[in-house]
This record gives sequence, structure tokens and C-alpha cells, in this order.
Amino acid sequence: MRFILRRLGFYLIAFWASITLNFLLPRFMPGDPVSRMFARTQGKMQPEQIDALRKLLGVDDRPIWEQYIDYLHNIVTGNMGISISRFPAPVTEVISSQIGWTLLLGGTALVIAAVVGNLLGILAAWRRGGAIDSALPPVLVFIGSFPYFWLAMGALYLFGVVLGWFPIRHAFTDGLEPGFTWEFIGDVGAHLVLPALTIVLVSIGGWMLGMRNTMIATNSEDYITMAEAKGLRPGRIMLRYAARNAMLPSVTSFGMGLGFVVGGALLTEVVFAYPGVGYQLLNAVQGLDYPLMQGLFLTITAAVLLANFLVDILYVRLDPRVRSN
Amino acid sequence: MTQPRYLRSARIAAAGLAVGAMLLTGCAATVNKSGTSSSTSDNTNAMLTIPREDMSTFDRNFNPFAPAVNPMVNQAIYEPLLVFNPAKGDTTPWLATEWKTAADGKSITFTLRDGVKWSDGKPLVADDVAYTFELQKKLKGGYEYLVGATAEGTNKVTFTFNKPWSPALYEVGQLPILPKHIWSAIADPAKDANATPVGTGPYTEVDSFQAQSYALKKNPNYWQPEKQKIAGIKMLAMSGNDAANLASVNGDVDWSTQFIPNIEKTFISKDKEHRHYWFPPTGAMINWQLNTTKAPFDDPKVRKALSMAVDRDQVTKIGMSGYAQPADCTGLSGNYEKWKNPAVKDNCSWTKLNVDEANKVLDEAGYPKGADGKRTLKDGTPFEFKISVGASSSDWLSVANVISQNLQAVGVTAKVDSPDWASVVAGYEQGTFDSGIVWSANDPSPFKYFNNAMGSATVKPVGTKTFDNYHRFGDPKADALLQDFVAAGDEAKQKDVAYKLQEEYNDAAPLVPLFSGPEWGNHTDVHFTGWPSQDNPYATLSDRSPTTVLILTTLEPRK
Repeated sequence: MRFILRRLGFYLIAFWASITLNFLLPRFMPGDPVSRMFARTQGKMQPEQIDALRKLLGVDDRPIWEQYIDYLHNIVTGNMGISISRFPAPVTEVISSQIGWTLLLGGTALVIAAVVGNLLGILAAWRRGGAIDSALPPVLVFIGSFPYFWLAMGALYLFGVVLGWFPIRHAFTDGLEPGFTWEFIGDVGAHLVLPALTIVLVSIGGWMLGMRNTMIATNSEDYITMAEAKGLRPGRIMLRYAARNAMLPSVTSFGMGLGFVVGGALLTEVVFAYPGVGYQLLNAVQGLDYPLMQGLFLTITAAVLLANFLVDILYVRLDPRVRSN
Repeated sequence: MTQPRYLRSARIAAAGLAVGAMLLTGCAATVNKSGTSSSTSDNTNAMLTIPREDMSTFDRNFNPFAPAVNPMVNQAIYEPLLVFNPAKGDTTPWLATEWKTAADGKSITFTLRDGVKWSDGKPLVADDVAYTFELQKKLKGGYEYLVGATAEGTNKVTFTFNKPWSPALYEVGQLPILPKHIWSAIADPAKDANATPVGTGPYTEVDSFQAQSYALKKNPNYWQPEKQKIAGIKMLAMSGNDAANLASVNGDVDWSTQFIPNIEKTFISKDKEHRHYWFPPTGAMINWQLNTTKAPFDDPKVRKALSMAVDRDQVTKIGMSGYAQPADCTGLSGNYEKWKNPAVKDNCSWTKLNVDEANKVLDEAGYPKGADGKRTLKDGTPFEFKISVGASSSDWLSVANVISQNLQAVGVTAKVDSPDWASVVAGYEQGTFDSGIVWSANDPSPFKYFNNAMGSATVKPVGTKTFDNYHRFGDPKADALLQDFVAAGDEAKQKDVAYKLQEEYNDAAPLVPLFSGPEWGNHTDVHFTGWPSQDNPYATLSDRSPTTVLILTTLEPRK
């Protein structure tokens, strides 16, 4: 219990530091949202409108410490203000309308990559020098080191345009009414295949190699030899003795990955015109949309810290050594 | 016991996902099939499909005051009093049938069209127009010269100005008009989402709104029902040019206006019979702005010499894929064709490539070439400066690079500086930049272009933020002419003054004009015919300008 409380304290401090950075960093960027907007319309706006627009969008001119106190207060009360780049939509609405797609895409890709990658890693290490061990790691690392943008475009062109197997844009066919019908769920799934597949392709190599390497170290432990000497079935030794102990680093990575899913997959969203918070974040940064940036950073920070905290707790359960310290 | 359970469930999940993926693949095939068959068989029910490349998702927000307004709000839902078409230079009366400028130039009276109704069936009245301007001034400012708009009866509106202001006709005439009976009931018009808009436009009924697509269907009370020949408009959200280009190339959309590289090969060649593009040079003039508060750019001879060193053909060919029209010394883009002074236009010197002359002028002006072939300034420091362009604008970056190379021929070193647009623009606004590639005003009347290029009123000292005239050039002679221009009541007189302004521009060279930005546009006539083109320039192919409504009311389904 003391362990958990100490971790909790640490996370509170980390949270405070990161929300302070979230507040400061956007404000270090040059320019302000209105002149940014003005420059982007390239002369289609009248300069006389700038003041009115600043007032309309509620651009803050107060001293920075006053803004900071207000900002902390708003975070505590959950009021994140109104987005500037998508005015007049509230930040919470912008995020909540997109986060579902982000979680679906990122979550699916992460789970598939982690599960399949780890299983492959286990098998590769168990049969060292076998077909999986010698062929897959180089191939997956090769694919994984492609620029993601290029790989995604290639997959989109091949499977979407040339072969026509999968839809080439959006999260579901336009005109379809969202709802819990088989037609809609099937459509969403079909639209999910290519974006998720490309993410899985580039990330699976890392999972596999990581698992394989820890597995190899575990395989030479005495208790594995002991288990073999006892005459246990190899499958049982592989999964319950070796993999179980080798899995700890993967659990950490999975927790981190889970946290970062919330940040969205910008490139995937761009290539497949998939909805999500990644593109919103890009837009917010380009348009100096402080409220939306803060909202998104806050969501990401909170998710990463929460995921880490959960992993910490899980560790206590998985690894007795952490408990004894 | 935890791990085995975890692994077992993971195995089941993996198997489930694999089966799911296979099921989904099957579904995808059927969805695609039904999509294509319905769109080719019956064009009368087909929707005019348009991608929007800079919005990855839509909010259900049809408020015309929103800075990032949804597409088609000001084109298909709300309509202006008149429509100016830069492709031909003509004006089409729209919600107003006629207008009259007072003899002193201090007011304009518009007569509204009879029989125009809002999409909810209520008639359009003069009060709506007056209220729209009241709201516009309150929420978004601008129209500094406008004292007020007063309704006279139900079909006449008079706009009064605090000084004679001739550019007002188009500025006032092209603002989309809103219904007073709806907007006066909204508590906070700036922040209202206006989810179910009521307008006078041809396509006002929002249908099947989703985050990445929505449709606009026919206004049941439109004032020219015979022109609503297409069933409706469908907008698709796209997260960038690439996604939109794919939709265009794939033939999934009818009309798009994003930049397509090498359009002949990537887009046209897929279906030569039906696909077309047209890039009239009616965009804004793109200028190379030299900060005239810094030496040696305060010297008009230097500005002209540098301009002569620039190979505009190369600039447009490399930077703009050959689709832009090189500038002449009137400084006016193709948008202002009818305002151009032939005497100036036909005798341009400093906007044509002439390296020898540029060298000569620089030698004479006192910027000698050293032994290494590099020039020095009057104080002996090297003739070196930066060209600032935002990193994301790859086309303008290559423009800047071409200029930088061209300048080597006259012994001048220009370094291309490309941080994020934000810091580039911050430099422009504060006046701390050396030089940059900058857009310009693109109105029906050339007043704003010349005012921003050389009107003293727009010059702010270095360190004070300004939003136009970044190069900070003021010219008393031009000021007098600009004064004459706004006071000139009729267009013939305005033209006369505009001619003189071009002569002054040609003398002073306040900017280095590079090329007229093209108005991008491409379409396929598989489903719809009646598109504007070079031969029939009744509008540009833009899907987000005032002329768009002209296209929407001309297109008809292919039979």
C-alpha cells in the first residue's frame, strides 16, 4: 500500500509538471492565433477585422500568471474553453467527437501488434534458429524501417485503388447511418482494416524482437532446465515458465503504448482520411489554438500517466521482487 | 493462475480478430459495389460530390461568422446582393436587381429582387439586409467607412458612408445576407452553431450530416426553381491534398480545387473525354516584398534591378508547375485584367529578365562588384539578405530558391530562410524581415491592392504590428491618387485613376510582383454538364468564392 501511495505522489508531481509545460510551450511559439488565421486566409480577411476577431475568439491578453491560475482552475473544474480553430465548438466536444475513432484505430492496432508480435517472439526464441527465428525478424525490421507514410500510401494504392479490396477513405461509407447494426459495424470494420494493418506492420517487429530477446535470456535460466528435467511438456514450459517471466518488459511497453494511443495517429489519419485527434492536434498547433492544444495535451498526459500507473500496480502483482523493495 | 488465463484469452481474441477481419473484407466488397452502381445509373438523383481538403472532419456548424466556416455556407445557403466574376470581369445582379451610387459617392441604394423567399417560406425584405450589416459590424468588424444601412420600405436599402468610398459597392454587395427573423432571435449569434440554416440559396437543406460528410438538398422555396437542376451537393472531409487528390483521380468526386501535381498525367489522362481543368490567372498577385525600411531596399533602383534579375518564366515553371502567369509592371494580377493600363503594360522594363541592365543599374546606383564577383552595400558590407517563406509552402519555397539562384548572376547573395509560417509572419508583421514571398489583396476593385502596396495610411513603424503593407512603403503621390479613387463615383473615372496608379507603381516599384496566382479547379462531366471553362468563363472553377453559386445554378445532370 505504501508503495502505491508513493507512486501516486510521484504521479501527481509529474502531472503538475506536465500540465505546466502544456501551458507554457504553446505560448513560447511566435505569433498569436488571430494573426495566424489572418495569414492563412492570405489577404481574404480585412485587417480592420483583427480586433473584432480577437474579441470574438476570446484571445487572452492578460498577464501570463493570471492566465496560468485560470488555467489550473479550469483543469480542476474540467472547463477547457472553446476551440479557436473550430470555433465555436467547445474543446471537450472536439475531443470527445474524435477520441472514439482514435481509440478504436490505435487500440485495435496496438492489441493486434502486441499479441501477435509477442507470440511470434515467444515462438522464435523457443525454436532458436528455426524458420520463424531466422526469417521473420529481418523481414519485420525491414518493413518496420520503411517510412510509415510511404508504406501506408503503398498499401492504400495496392489494396484500395488497384485491387479495390478495401475502402480508401473515412471511417465508414458516407450516407450510412451510425448505429449498432451489422451493416454499420461491418462497414466500420472494413474501413479499419487498412489503417490498422499498416500500423501493425510497422510496429510488430519491435514487439517480436523485444520478446524474443528477453525470452532467450529467460530460456537459459536454471528453472527452465529444472522444468525440462521434470519432464514437463515443452508447450507448458514455453508459455508458463519462460514466456511468463519474459513478459514483464512487454507489459511496460504495452502500458506506454496504451497511453500514447490517445495522441492519435496523425500520418494514418492523413493518408486514409480517417477521423481522429491526431489531425486535430496538428491543426491546433498550426493555428495556435491554445485551448484545443491544452485539452489534447492534457488528455494525452493523463492517459500516459494513468496507463503507467496501472502498469505499476500490475507489476506489483506480476513481479514479487517489486513488492519486497 | 493469472498468466495462463491471460494467454488463453489473448489467443481467443487473436482468433476472433482474424475471423472478424475476414468477415469485414466480405462486407467491404458489397458496400463498394452498391456505391458505384447507384451513381452511374441515374444522374438526376446524383449528388454533386466535392472534397474539402483542409477539413478532416466537419462540425454541424453552419454559422457564417465562424472563422473556419463549413463549405458551401456562403455559396449554396446564403446569397449576396450581387456576384462579381473575375474570370470575365462582369457583375451579375443577384438578390438585388439594381443599385445606384449617390452623386457625392457617400451612399449606395440597392433595389431588392421581388419574390425572393427564405427557405422557411418567409419573404426576403430590406430589413434583412440592414440587419445583416449591423450584425456583421458588431461581430466581425470591418466596414469602417459604413455609417449604417437603412431599409426603405420592403425592397430598398441605402448604405451610407462617412466619406466617399467607391470600393464599397463590391464589399457591401458580396456579403451574404442573413434572415433577420431567425438571427435576431438567437441569443449569442457569434457562438450559435446554426445547425439548421435558413437561407435564400439554391441548396439549403442539411441532410445526413456525419462527421466526414454531409449533403445539402434543394431549397423548397428557391427564387429560381428552374435553375435547381441537380439533386444536391455532397461534401466529403479530407485530411489533406493527398487524400483529396486520390478521390479526384479515382473519379469519386465531381469537382475539386486542391492543387494536383502534374494534372495532365495524374488526373486528365485517366479519362480524357470527361475530365477537364482550368486555371485562370485570377488569383492574387504573388509578390516578392522587400522591406523598404532597410537599406538597400529603400532605393527604388535596387528594387527594380533585383526585379530585373528574376527570371519569372523559370519561377512559374519550376515553382508553380507552369500554371501561373508571370507578372507585368502594373503589379495587377489577371483578376484585374480590365483595369490594366495598356500604356504601362506594353512598355514594361523592370519586370522582364535583363541581367545586363540589372548589373548596370546596380553599378550606377553605387553597389560595386568586388573581385570575387560579389557586390557590397554602400557601407562596405556584403550585399546579402534573406528571403523568408514558411516551410510548409513547398511551391513558394522553390520560387524563393529560383530567385536566390537568379540573383547570383548579379552578384547578390539571397539566402532562403524557411522556418514555420508563424515565425515568418511574425517577422513580416513586426517589420524585422529582409524580404519574403507574400500574397496580396484580391478584390473586384484594385483599390486595396494599391493601398496596401503604397498607401502611406497603411505604413506602420517597425516594431508595431501591421497586417498589410509588410514592406512598409508609403508614397505621397499614390496617396493623392488613392484619395481620388475612393471619391470617384463611376467606374470610368475609377479606371482613369487606376491607370495613373499603375504609372506611379511602375515608377516607384513598391514591390516586386512575381506572378498571378492561378485559381485551381478541375472537374469531371460524367454526372453533370455545364461547367465554366476558358470558352465559357461565366465563373471561375473555385468552389469557395462568390461565383460558386453561379455554377451551382448552371450545372445539370448528364442525360
